[in-house]
Amino acid sequence: MNLERVTFGFFIILSLTFNFVFVIGHIDNPSHHNVWILTIAILVSLIATGLKLGDRSQVGALLLAAGLVADLLLITARIFWVVFESDTEMGPGPESMVMIVSLASGALLANIVSVVILIGDTLMSRR
Amino acid sequence: MSLPMNNVYGPYSVCNIGVIAWLYAIGSIIGLIRNTHFVQALSEYRFSRIVKQISDPFFIICGFGDTGSLLARGLSDHHLIGVVIDRDPERIKALSLRDYNIKMPGLCGDSSAPKHLVDAGIKHQQCKAVIALTGDEEVNLKITVMARFMNPDVHIICRSTSPKHEEHLSPLHNVTIINPFEIFAQLLSMAITAPRLHNLNSWLVRAKGVQLGKPLKAPNDKWILCGYGRMGKWLHQYMKLNDINPLIIDPNMDKAPDDGSFINGYADHGTLKKAGLANTNGIVAGTDSDSDNLNILMSAQVMNPTVFTIVRQNHHENQLAFDAAHADLILQSSLTTARRILKYLISPHIQQLIEYLYEQGEHLTNEISGKLKTIIGNRKPHLWCITLDRAQALAMVDFSEQGQKIILGNLLHHPSDRNEILTCIPLMIFRDGQSSMLPSLDESVCPGDRILFCGTEQSERLLRSTLNNAYALHYLVTGEEQARGYFFRWLENKQKDRQTQPHD
Repeated sequence: MNLERVTFGFFIILSLTFNFVFVIGHIDNPSHHNVWILTIAILVSLIATGLKLGDRSQVGALLLAAGLVADLLLITARIFWVVFESDTEMGPGPESMVMIVSLASGALLANIVSVVILIGDTLMSRR
Repeated sequence: MSLPMNNVYGPYSVCNIGVIAWLYAIGSIIGLIRNTHFVQALSEYRFSRIVKQISDPFFIICGFGDTGSLLARGLSDHHLIGVVIDRDPERIKALSLRDYNIKMPGLCGDSSAPKHLVDAGIKHQQCKAVIALTGDEEVNLKITVMARFMNPDVHIICRSTSPKHEEHLSPLHNVTIINPFEIFAQLLSMAITAPRLHNLNSWLVRAKGVQLGKPLKAPNDKWILCGYGRMGKWLHQYMKLNDINPLIIDPNMDKAPDDGSFINGYADHGTLKKAGLANTNGIVAGTDSDSDNLNILMSAQVMNPTVFTIVRQNHHENQLAFDAAHADLILQSSLTTARRILKYLISPHIQQLIEYLYEQGEHLTNEISGKLKTIIGNRKPHLWCITLDRAQALAMVDFSEQGQKIILGNLLHHPSDRNEILTCIPLMIFRDGQSSMLPSLDESVCPGDRILFCGTEQSERLLRSTLNNAYALHYLVTGEEQARGYFFRWLENKQKDRQTQPHD
């Protein structure tokens, strides 16, 4: 067992699950999506990316790239939330919500790619 | 009534003129397309364009006969490109129908014409060698000279059997002359005096039906040699070097050598009987006619079933008949030549190793064969050479520049599991112009070394990945997994510091 693999695997899968928790629900219904879950997903994703900094292997480079894509999309989604927060009293309106959740879904895809690469790499190496 | 008729036929007659003009135009275009000169020019243009676009190392094969096509097949098995020129359009057509692993461009034309050699890429940076294999030795000589003038650095391999040509070509540098008869005689004498080495050599070139560790049992006295032409003379010369005095049978009296026994006549049943076939141990059917050779083989097998038979096969198309004849050793000139050239192109040094083993005697060969047998088993052997430079072994060069020492044994393990060894053996190391044979696994390796390996294709891939992956290399050398990210490396260093200074 390798501490680095465990930690990185933990954060990358946690980031995927938080992302999923945020995205799931009707795409245009603001009450199905929570801004704090989005914020936590961003934090976890940033930590996972940070752990990959400095890896010189090919797989490491790919994981870092996928992580950066997820960060970028999630942070954009969070910025949109801040901008559209004043739409209604409850937060962003349905149209703004569609845009925010779409961005978060893109990040979900990048996270899925990361996890698939991670699993593939782990299965390939037998030690 | 006439007016409507005109209206009906008028446009048709105009149409007819249009159709004729069209037909004429199409006819002349078809005529141009079918024009042989036009077709030739077009195919030359297409050929030279394909050659220009080649980005991997390639070889020019002049002459696509038996030897040329066997060589092309061998190159394709090793994923190397051959560019073929042949005079015969049928052969070039056949080339495009072969199921090679890799595309081999072919041009129909005179391969000694400089224009065609340039089209085939003789001045191309990636052109590694020109191989002259046409049936006409004068043409081979011409190709060699032309090629040398057009590219002074390219390696040239020329098939020639005449000593006159050899004299002509020997002053040219970087030219290898391949004499099929001499190679043939060398192989035969190797089979007699060093059967294990012969076995190893045939296994390395992937000869059909050869199993490592099961050498031929060729007798070393009482031989009959049928046919005393160009090849017979070489065989006789090499046999005499090994203290074998064969009885020669040949219909041509003038050729009789001064020393040694000679029987004049065709090697038929009566002559063989007269030659005492019943009491001989080995017979070589070495005439230049395949039917005669098969005939001799048949008589020999009837008269003395235990005799060791070696038969010469002149034409590749008779392969099936020779396979069915159950000779102990079939020597096919085109095949042996193609294998020798291929061996030369893939790893020029393997011949050095064979010669070294020949000098060292059968004991060492036996040891190597045993090792290879246990490691590779029944899989096909694969030879490859790695240069430990930045292009081929980036991680290894970086690692040793940090002052770490790497031994050969470190590299030859599975990059995922240190306890599993790779299925390959290092055969030679080249360092500073010196070559050392059969290095031990404790030998340390440094950047700049060239190492020749024998193993399987999978082991080559794994070894190359180890040499380029810093983490895998670190794991194999030290046995420890290195932390990859900055954070964990920092954590690891901190832990090490705490271990070294427990009281602080």
